[in-house]
Amino acid sequence: MNIPDSSKMKQDCPEQNECLKLLQSILDGEATAEQKKNFMEKHLEECMPCYKNYHLEVAIRQLLKTKCSKEAPQELVDEIKTKVIQNLSR
Amino acid sequence: MEETPKQHYTEAEKAKVFSDEFMPHINSMYNFAYRLTLDADDAKDLLQDTYLKAFRFIDSFQQGTNAKAWLFRILKNSFINDYRKKSKEPSKVDYQEVESYYNSEDVDRQITPDLRVEALNNMIGDEISNALNALDVDFRTVIILCDLEGFKYEEMAKILDIPIGTVRSRLHRARNLLKEKLSEYAKQLGYNNA
Repeated sequence: MNIPDSSKMKQDCPEQNECLKLLQSILDGEATAEQKKNFMEKHLEECMPCYKNYHLEVAIRQLLKTKCSKEAPQELVDEIKTKVIQNLSR
Repeated sequence: MEETPKQHYTEAEKAKVFSDEFMPHINSMYNFAYRLTLDADDAKDLLQDTYLKAFRFIDSFQQGTNAKAWLFRILKNSFINDYRKKSKEPSKVDYQEVESYYNSEDVDRQITPDLRVEALNNMIGDEISNALNALDVDFRTVIILCDLEGFKYEEMAKILDIPIGTVRSRLHRARNLLKEKLSEYAKQLGYNNA
């Protein structure tokens, strides 16, 4: 995607909600190659609300990934391993 | 469990499957347990129960199939059977009701929070985590499975025992609700138009 010229972009999208659904399925890797190409290379360059939505969706996903992962406490991991080994030797 | 032909692993094979295929997912599994229960002790118990159960039913796991999805499904079922009942939160939110409410088209028009990336970039604390935790557990779950764990819709449908169309719509609602929460935080951060 190129950086679009905002003065040439539509400021309203009549299909915004449908576009958002499509955008999400693209980012989730669930859209077809053709849907992806049309949306990313064409629609996003001419539609401001969808362009903004795209960046917002990407930012939220990144934030989730960096802020919402907790690692298992090492002692818990060890405890689970030990219990399974006990089960095996029974 | 999936209807797969029963395996007959030797003790050594069991130990190998467990350490090579199950243990690598332990951090993702812990995070899922924690986000479901929202309690470190419950998460610990849930994780341990799940791993011991996975070991007990290891003959139902076919090598070469998706171990992570298999484990997540066991964890989700254990949570529903053992934890949701005793959970403190009045979890008897009627799902159907929530779902049909959020599926009405009106809600889409209401929920178009004008949240900006700039506001998000300033959320350096626990805002996103709190926003996620504040969602109803079923909405929280789809976001975790998709955005944190990268499951495909089809895998999510199997883990959650729901149709793929429901995965899709629930995910869309969940994301709208998350954005709604985030724009409340953005306002508190002083982004008035966020």
